[in-house]
Formats: sequence, structure tokens, C-alpha cells
Amino acid sequence: MSKDLDAGLLGGRVALITGGGAGIGLGIATAMAREGAAVVLAARRIENGEPAAEALRDAGHRALCVRCDVTSRIDLESAVAATIDGFGHLDCFVHNAVGGSVAPGPIEGMDDGWPGLLATTVRASFDAAQVAHPHLAAAGGSFLLLTSAAGMEGSASLPAYAMVKASQRALAKSLSQEWGPAGIRVNCIAPVARTPAMDRAYRANPDLEERLLERTPLRRIGDPTDDIGPVAVFLTSDLARFVTGQTIVADGGGFLGL
Amino acid sequence: MGTRTLVCGAGGLYDELVARLRARGHLVETLGLSSLAARPTAETAVDTAAAALGTVDLLVHVLESPGQPIPLVDLSTDDWVAVCEDPMVGALHLLQACRPHLGPGSRVVHVVPTSAMGGAPGFAATATAAEGIRALNKSAARQWGTDGITTAVVAAAPELLIGPAASSSGGALSGPALGRTGGAEDLAGIIDTLASPDAAFTSGSTIVADGGTWMAP
Repeated sequence: MSKDLDAGLLGGRVALITGGGAGIGLGIATAMAREGAAVVLAARRIENGEPAAEALRDAGHRALCVRCDVTSRIDLESAVAATIDGFGHLDCFVHNAVGGSVAPGPIEGMDDGWPGLLATTVRASFDAAQVAHPHLAAAGGSFLLLTSAAGMEGSASLPAYAMVKASQRALAKSLSQEWGPAGIRVNCIAPVARTPAMDRAYRANPDLEERLLERTPLRRIGDPTDDIGPVAVFLTSDLARFVTGQTIVADGGGFLGL
Repeated sequence: MGTRTLVCGAGGLYDELVARLRARGHLVETLGLSSLAARPTAETAVDTAAAALGTVDLLVHVLESPGQPIPLVDLSTDDWVAVCEDPMVGALHLLQACRPHLGPGSRVVHVVPTSAMGGAPGFAATATAAEGIRALNKSAARQWGTDGITTAVVAAAPELLIGPAASSSGGALSGPALGRTGGAEDLAGIIDTLASPDAAFTSGSTIVADGGTWMAP
């Protein structure tokens, strides 16, 4: 199946998505591919990423998978190099991956899992920004970070997650000011969506889904592809050409404090 | 007896804040940043300071990060770690170490630049750390509130905590309504007020103390 490479809101664009092999990352990649982007799924687990890339190719999209542990700067550099080799340029870098432990717990018990969380979010955002910058500057592209409402209102259950997600938002605002003159836009999405991680949380907390739905005006949990993906499409497309330094909360209306 | 206050930080504003709080009658013990590098050293240092105070009514952690602007793309990884990650880890260790010494009526205050909310070109590492610490403060408020412990963030002008080169940062469209960015005495008064029982029903909130520059939300 062949498609017009310039068709769609992202026609001709090339996007790299970390954590692109599953969950929200794959949802974003799929939505961007449907709008014409060539997508690179940067996945730590190649066994997730490669079948996902193959499925996208089978659907007529341009997609490839690269193995990438975002805690490794070398892996990030290799992922960007593979993107350039495969598609010629890089217009959108989406840092979605998050690792380490995000298990609920008290601040006093945050030591376990905290280093991995810090590495995959805060350090990886720094590394990704430095690695992607020359290509985004050449393309007039955009940099997108995944954050969370937990970072905006604090979290009784996930203090470590709240801390790193908040910090990524300030990084995005800082970079929007540094990179704006070069035509690079930097934005954030704060999603709530049904992912494998959320399925695990549901199993651990049987009443969690009901509590989440009660606090969500739209009375459903987002779908990674159909609810979160279009927000990424908007922010990385020309529709948002005058939008930078912003966060869009895509959570069904649960958090209104922004 | 005055408020028993533990102040942690380093730098000119930190020194002035300590002096101003003492002048206001606080019994102050101080803690250097080096002890926060690891949890055990933080616990030892905090235990010693808390023993000298008797208990901790007020914990003040000042995120002071003076420097010149460096574009993020030119920042070394070592500098990123020193300016962004180490202060976040240190803030966590300080809270963990202080928790056993906090009880009903205790107040935790983090002093950060308003760059946390608005970002800071040339100072992205500081802004990133500051917003992370602001979220940690909120989470502490949510976890410890039922024990009677309250928290607050005092967000000061970037000029005070970073330096004059940070004056144009923050995403605000206007300068300070009061015509000045303030100083240690302005902050000490607000921190002193936050330690009062009259302020005890606010927790996890950010008090912007920048002379009326940042008014959102």
C-alpha cells in the first residue's frame, strides 16, 4: 500500500517517540503516522517496538523501531542517527518514556526506584534535548515532553513521580524561551490514558478505576491513540505553530488547576 | 520561646535570611548543603541540629543557585547534575531526615525562584530543579497533613536566588507592581508569618513573594 507522503497534518514530517513501543508512546506514534508522519519507535524492549513498527508499516505508514534505553545518551544519539539514516531529518522529538519504580509510597520510602525514575525522565530529557537540538533547529521542529497533573498538584501516593513530572514542565518552559528564536517549539502533554501500566495499577487497586472515573467529567479513561495521540498531532503540527511553552492536560477534565 | 527553626542552604540570601529570622526571635540552627548528598549524612546532620533545637517548628530550605546564563545545549552533564539533579536529591534527603522531627504545628518551607513556574532561559537546570522541589513540597503537604504538618513554597524573584542575569526570565509580561524585587527581610517576614498558627490552614500552596511580578493564576 502506498500513500501520499505529504498528505495529512504531519505529511513529510519525521517524529521520534521514546517509549514508542507500547502505551501512550505507541498511541502518539500511531496518531502521528495516521497524519502522515514517518515515525521512529525508540523502545527499550525491541520485542514490543518491532511488532508495533511492523503493524504500522502493514497499515501503509512509514515506521521503524530502534532499540533505545533513554538512560543511555549513546542510545539516544543512535536513535537520532537511525532516524536521520532512515528518513533524512528529524522534525519532532517526543520524550514519553518513563522507567524506574512509580509504586505508591511515602516520601520516606522514596529511595527505591527513585534513581531510575530520575534517570528516565529528568536526565533523559536533558540528554534528549541536547541530542535532538541541532536537527530540530535545522527543521524548525518541535520538542514534546510528557508530564502529569500529579506534578502540578502534588501527589499523596506518587511523590517521586510528581516531582520528576513537574520538573520536566519547567524544563519545557525554559527551553521554549531558549529555542523560540530558532523556531523550535517546546510543549507538554499531561495525559491520563489506559496503558499497560494502568492495567497493572488496576489489578493492584481494584477500586482505582471507579475512583478515576468518578473524578473524570467525561466518565472514561483516555485512549492512547484516539484521545492522547491527536493532542500530540496538534502540538507538533502547523496548527500549533504559535503555541510554545504550554501544557495541554488531556485527562477527560479531571484536573482543572492549570 | 521563639520558633525553633532549621534553615538549610548556602549563599548570600541564605545568610541574610538566617540573620533576619534570628532578629525576629527564631532559635535557628543551620545546615550546609554538603550533608544532603546522602541520606545517612543528612539524617546525622539533621538529628544533631534538631537535638540542639529540641524540636523543629519550622524547616526552611533555600534553593539558591547563583550563576551566569548558559544555554542548555552548552551545559555539561556534570553541571546539569550539580545544578538540577543534586538539589532535587538533596531536597528529598532533607525532608526524609527531618520527618521524624516534625509534628503537629510544624511547617516546611521551600524558597525557590519563580523560574519554577515560568522557566528560565539560560538557567533551565535551576528552573527544572525548583519546579521539582515545588512538587515535592505539595506532595509532602498531602502526605503529612493529617499529622498536622503543613508546607508552603515561597517563590522569590529570580534575581534574588539566581542573580541579576536572570531578571528577564519567567514568562511574566510585566515587572514588579511594587517597583522592586525585594530582599531577605521581605522574605523573612512572609516565612515568619507562615510559621504562625494563624497561617496554619494553608498548606502546599505557593506564596509568590516577588513584589507583584508573577500574579498567575
